[in-house]
Amino acid sequence: MSACLLERNNKQTFTQKSAPGRSVYLSNRGNSLRQHRGILQEGFAQYVVNKYHDTNNPDGIINMGTSENKLCYDLLYKRLTHPDMLHIDPSLLQYSDSRGHAFLREVVAEFLSHYCCSPNPLKPDNVVVMNGCTSLFSCIAAVICDPKDAILIPTPFYGAITEDLHLYSDVKLFHVPLDCEADGKDSRAFHLTVGKLEEGLKRAKEEGLTVRALILMNPHNPLAEIYTPEEMFAFLEFCKRNELHVIVDEVYMLTVFDKSVSFHSVLSVDSLPDPQRTHVMWGLSKDFALSGIRVGTLYTENKDLLEALAQLGSFHSVPGSTQHQVAQLLQDREWIDEQFLPENRRRLKAAHSYLAQELQSMGISYLDRPACLYVWADLRKYLRESSFEEELALWRSFLRHKVVLSCGQAFFCSTPGWFRFVFADQQHHLQLGQFAPFNMYIPSTF
Amino acid sequence: MSTPVYLSNRGNSLRQHRGILQEGFAQYVVNKYHDTNNPDGIINMGTSENKLCYDLLYKRLTHPDMLHIDPSLLQYSDSRGHAFLREVVAEFLSHYCCSPNPLKPDNVVVMNGCTSLFSCIAAVICDPKDAILIPTPFYGAITEDLHLYSDVKLFHVPLDCEADGKDSRAFHLTVGKLEEGLKRAKEEGLTVRALILMNPHNPLAEIYTPEEMFAFLEFCKRNELHVIVDEVYMLTVFDKSVSFHSVLSVDSLPDPQRTHVMWGLSKDFALSGIRVGTLYTENKDLLEALAQLGSFHSVPGSTQHQVAQLLQDREWIDEQFLPENRRRLKAAHSYLAQELQSMGISYLDRPACLYVWADLRKNTLFEELALWRSFLRHKVVLSCGQAFFCSTPGWFRFVFADQQHHLQLGQFAPFNMYIPSTKSSDQLKEKDSPVPDTASLITEEFVLLDCQASRPTESLDSLIGTLRHQIHSSDWLEKNTPELSAGEDPEILDVFKALLQRARK
Repeated sequence: MSACLLERNNKQTFTQKSAPGRSVYLSNRGNSLRQHRGILQEGFAQYVVNKYHDTNNPDGIINMGTSENKLCYDLLYKRLTHPDMLHIDPSLLQYSDSRGHAFLREVVAEFLSHYCCSPNPLKPDNVVVMNGCTSLFSCIAAVICDPKDAILIPTPFYGAITEDLHLYSDVKLFHVPLDCEADGKDSRAFHLTVGKLEEGLKRAKEEGLTVRALILMNPHNPLAEIYTPEEMFAFLEFCKRNELHVIVDEVYMLTVFDKSVSFHSVLSVDSLPDPQRTHVMWGLSKDFALSGIRVGTLYTENKDLLEALAQLGSFHSVPGSTQHQVAQLLQDREWIDEQFLPENRRRLKAAHSYLAQELQSMGISYLDRPACLYVWADLRKYLRESSFEEELALWRSFLRHKVVLSCGQAFFCSTPGWFRFVFADQQHHLQLGQFAPFNMYIPSTF
Repeated sequence: MSTPVYLSNRGNSLRQHRGILQEGFAQYVVNKYHDTNNPDGIINMGTSENKLCYDLLYKRLTHPDMLHIDPSLLQYSDSRGHAFLREVVAEFLSHYCCSPNPLKPDNVVVMNGCTSLFSCIAAVICDPKDAILIPTPFYGAITEDLHLYSDVKLFHVPLDCEADGKDSRAFHLTVGKLEEGLKRAKEEGLTVRALILMNPHNPLAEIYTPEEMFAFLEFCKRNELHVIVDEVYMLTVFDKSVSFHSVLSVDSLPDPQRTHVMWGLSKDFALSGIRVGTLYTENKDLLEALAQLGSFHSVPGSTQHQVAQLLQDREWIDEQFLPENRRRLKAAHSYLAQELQSMGISYLDRPACLYVWADLRKNTLFEELALWRSFLRHKVVLSCGQAFFCSTPGWFRFVFADQQHHLQLGQFAPFNMYIPSTKSSDQLKEKDSPVPDTASLITEEFVLLDCQASRPTESLDSLIGTLRHQIHSSDWLEKNTPELSAGEDPEILDVFKALLQRARK
């Protein structure tokens, strides 16, 4: 017998929003933009206009698909309503440096020096602040790549980076697929090695692509993996050998909730193989549970890159008052170290355990990792056949049953059936049994 | 080993890009004048900002309702802007633009500034290398806004500074000129997709009449062009006898699907640092396409809340902010106007905006960019006409929305260094003719002449006459050589050498 979800059989499933027809008002580029449909964005778009609420909207959608931390609102509320957050000063209300105010870049440099354990103090002039990592990806692509150039990325990966590089900057991602089955050579599932990167680079060149960079995310999205310092160094050396830029997104660096595990930032490396081509991204969305504040940072020693990014800064500016608030937050070591981080990690760990139990009770296997806001789980047994169409049908079924979950194709996973479950939310949102699709299956033998 | 090249062709091009407006600002922002903390700093009369209302804004922005937090403000949200804000913006624009019917929140998009809105709109209504028409002079940074990401070019429709028989005024935009511009663009093989209009205008501070505007909209309709009307200065009209008519007040637009109205808080609310711009359009396709780019231009949730609080506070806007702001703008405008008059500088006298467009042509011998640089060296940023692609050199934009002592033109040496030029060169040879301190004049890189010289050629002759006189009457030539100014602007040096040669003859 093959696994199936009864209610999916031959029933008109969730009405797929078909791509809109061509508009005579827009250009070719505009039409292409308008018709673009990323799955992660689609799930979010459905949720944002119909959010579940215990009392106000019990028929709404629960979002386990968007990577946000909703566990710390009380802690943030307390800190963000503190009087130092309502400071006004003329320079905050006027046009300012397109790289971000100097006061903020100084605070960011000190913050990263401390939390990334840099061997030497980081420099404010090597910092650029923009309205989110989405914007940073867009700009970096625009300046290190020409249109149609490519950047390497191991799969699965956070799929929205595809849009971040493509929509404005017309840069493509070249995938280096990581298999979900650990084989003889791999020590674990989805194992990134230098060998695979080299092979990927070779294939890309054979396809005639100009590869300019590699993107690494550490801790990883969606795997929640943390690379060892040795692994990371080997990846950096691979880039140096091939004169590739490397963009290391460390946006989850403070979400390690298992005390026995340590995270090593690229900024802690004493002697980078190629400092001029090593660029480290960070932001407040994940580590500080402030996805709505829209602030991302880039650290690099490359002056040419910094100058070019400054030219695009006016498209990605952050309000002066927000820059002030972020500076206040990031320099409040006491609040960060004694109030926020320990409690946040405790709650993340508890929520992670809760979801892990739920998955286990459903007989769903998953990658057990000590960081991030989500778990990468194996739902292959729910598919009637191993295909991405089936996976998408399952995704739609979840959505019809009022839960957003992100399916593997949104992360360009090479094997259908993997899903990412975001757990950083209240427990009653994580009770999988409340969502019919989890209960409606026939145990599979494949 | 060759020098490594880190950036792409596009990246290098971006990095080397130097807009004059941005250059002036960049110099200022790292060396801002301050009465006590930095008296040697730069005074900025070049960037269009309103610095007159900080006290009023401070009071309102520190009000407790501005520190409201709520979970949805700290989380990812609608890429068009939160629904609550789009509702407030729709109501605000309905009221202040006098729309015949209530405007709809779903026709509103909010982004982090009009810069971003221009970039997005260009990306979705144009393909790379397409063109958009714009009358010159215009706010030059729009060139970068359309080009840097979206690779769209502006095709200029030049407006002359001299009113001719057909024109009623200088820099007069007519449908005829637009039609001619469109024709030329097509002859050059360009695909023109839209027209940009700014009303009230930057840098002219003009306000189009409703009839003029309607005629421009009809021109666009006839040619199936989108029209982007930037009304970002709509509330800065400080002369009570003048009225501004928003495109949103038009009952029956010629082509509503191609009419898009931009606004923002930077100018009308003196909040350039808050980074909020809005677009209103009925075109659903455009709105959907813009939403796809919204995540690159997002506004923080708490800022969206603050803006909503501000825009719905009609009492504060109508009774506290706008009247006092306009009173101050009018006073500052008058002050600057007097300063310009006392310097003999003519200018366009207009009842809106934060700046005055002034004619420095007859006040200078030297090239416009050299004059710009000279001002900068003397610690004042002024925006020169080429930053606005003005077809005639010598026009400058003076921003007046600042404290009076920043507007005293006499404190900037270039304005004072002039030769009275009504006397002929013969007369200047008379010993009892008053001769200004020309030693400093000669070491200065340029000269400003008394405006009573009516034509540039007369001024040049007068200067040469004076130089000749001076050279005869002093040991200046022994003391001063061209090599002294070798470290300065080479263009100045060339002109200086040429003048010196003529004076020696």
